[in-house]
Amino acid sequence: MSRSVRYTSSPLLASRTPVWRSKFVVAAIALAFGGLAARAAYIQVFANDFFQRQGEVRFARTLELPAYRGRILDRNGLILASSVPAPSIWAIPDDVDTDGEKPKLQKLAKLLDMPYADLAKKHDEDKTYVWVKRQVDADTAKEIATLNIKGIYQRKEYKRQYPEGEAAAHVVGFTNVEDNGQEGIELLYNKRLLGKPGMRHVIKDRLGRAVEDVGEIVPPVDGQDLQLSIDSKVQFFAYQKLKEAVQTQRAQAGSVVVLDAVSGEVLALANYPSYVPDKRQNLSGAQTRNRALTDTFEPGSVMKPFTIGLALESGRVKPGTVIDTAPGSFTITGVTIHDSHAHGALTVEQVIQVSSNVGTAKIAMGMPASEMWETFSQAGFGQKPQIEFPGAVSGRLRPANKWRPIEQATVSYGYGLSASLFQMVRSYTVFSHDGQIIPATLMKSTEPAVGVRVFSPGTAAEVRKMLQMAAGPGGTGPKAQTQGYSVGGKSGTAYKQQGKGYGTDGNRKYRSWFVGMAPIDKPRLIVGVMLDEPSAGQYFGGAVAAPVFSDTVQQTLRLLNVQPDMAVHPNIVASAVEESF
Amino acid sequence: MTRINLMLLLAVVASALYLVSIQYESRRLFTELDKAQAEERRLSSDLERLKVEKRAQATSARVEKLAREKLQMRLVLPAITTYVGYTEPAPAGQGVSGSVQALPQVSAAAGARP
Repeated sequence: MSRSVRYTSSPLLASRTPVWRSKFVVAAIALAFGGLAARAAYIQVFANDFFQRQGEVRFARTLELPAYRGRILDRNGLILASSVPAPSIWAIPDDVDTDGEKPKLQKLAKLLDMPYADLAKKHDEDKTYVWVKRQVDADTAKEIATLNIKGIYQRKEYKRQYPEGEAAAHVVGFTNVEDNGQEGIELLYNKRLLGKPGMRHVIKDRLGRAVEDVGEIVPPVDGQDLQLSIDSKVQFFAYQKLKEAVQTQRAQAGSVVVLDAVSGEVLALANYPSYVPDKRQNLSGAQTRNRALTDTFEPGSVMKPFTIGLALESGRVKPGTVIDTAPGSFTITGVTIHDSHAHGALTVEQVIQVSSNVGTAKIAMGMPASEMWETFSQAGFGQKPQIEFPGAVSGRLRPANKWRPIEQATVSYGYGLSASLFQMVRSYTVFSHDGQIIPATLMKSTEPAVGVRVFSPGTAAEVRKMLQMAAGPGGTGPKAQTQGYSVGGKSGTAYKQQGKGYGTDGNRKYRSWFVGMAPIDKPRLIVGVMLDEPSAGQYFGGAVAAPVFSDTVQQTLRLLNVQPDMAVHPNIVASAVEESF
Repeated sequence: MTRINLMLLLAVVASALYLVSIQYESRRLFTELDKAQAEERRLSSDLERLKVEKRAQATSARVEKLAREKLQMRLVLPAITTYVGYTEPAPAGQGVSGSVQALPQVSAAAGARP
């Protein structure tokens, strides 16, 4: 019963539609297109940042161009510290299949030299990124790469290597895992050594290859190389001799400083105990301390030449002037000072030779305190450390107007003030450099040192002669003598403070040192040696520290091609006179 | 008129294809350059590593140990050294004109102090 209607004769078509309807539809569509066009223009022309950025995220990459940390070289260009690639191993714990790849992971643990249990524990952590081991060596990293374990990756990093090891550890210092200086030269010159990483923007293709540079490339700036004044051979030798002495004398510690007396360059600076900078697990404070620069002590007899030098300079005494030191003691304002033995009448030269406290004090009491203070300050005592180094100390020298009379006497022979071994060594450039004190430096320098005059060349030569006598037969340090080279120097020994006093007899602790120069007529070297708490029976500086001085001077002068200035005698060690302290 | 248009169309197509191939080539070369530069960096850091290793094998400590233990060597002492000094050549006609002259021979034979 259906009724079909032909389309053309549909009654609906027969009725007239209003014109506005079609117009309305056209207008609506036009509006929609207009909207789309406006939106398109807005997105593509005005607000395109977001999409541009999204696009870039998908193909543009910023690559960092690594800069190398500068090397540290010795004076002959040998490497003391350099950065080498040492990849770090990291993992995405969720991606590591601990069951399926157990044999491979066990191999990895073996390569990394860690127990498998530790490795497995790292992969149990609920993190998206864990370090497995930082800075493994390049060969191990290559082997790990060939294992090809899923979820284990490598990151390029650099590690500092120190070929000289423990011998130069205190001078060179070390860096932390981020390649930032922590100690020594590495810390002091961190800014110069650090490079500045560069940057480049590239477009990468589907396979991750860079296909185009975008924008400017910022090239990396490598850190500067530093050339130190240290001679690695001298450094090694000095360290080795010091180490032997500390061990045979059963001392707690020791330091040695070798200074070029002409240029003021430090050829060697070593301390024992030391450490291997590459392996710093279980490092103790005793090992890291750069004692030569940070430990101060009373210089003792090492100061006497300055007191005598001032007296000579001001014309108050002549080297031959006789001073009566009998009966071996001298009382000032109720306090008595002693010599180790009574020496009777001594010439000024002999006062230095046998290291008489009484003789020195008697000479000092004839001089104004302010003059002494000025001379000592000029020689660097109690002054801001002239050498910049982490932890370097200034020592102590009280102002002259606060000295009590007894203090003036004790200061004259080195008590009541303090200085580091390095300061003492540098102060002796006054005598080696014809009366001028020269600045010491750890950097290799090509310019001649410019000094500040303290004494006249004549006084310096006279004092040098006395120092030679002190290190000769009848002096306090004959063990300082070398074969072929004339030497001169002063030894020192001091009780170490224990609690409130200096310990009791039989239970005393000592510090022994020796500072001297060679060859004596035209010094090339100043060497200072200090041993802390020698406890193998001997403790005088002339017995304990002087042999290290002798060996170091002997080898160093030979390395510097200095011709011997004396005929060689096979037996040179004469018996020592006991020194005062 | 149509012919010129066709020619131009062909020219455009050809140049477009050429552009594509040049672009491809330039990217390929860039990638290769990039690889070569990475290789250079790798090699230079390898060189540095080897230099350090070489240095570590030639430190004074190791040399001394080997010289003492393996080669049975000992330290040079002035007692067993002849020093040769240099003096300005004397004016002609004056006897010995040799410029190298041995110093007065140091006394004592070897082994003054071990």
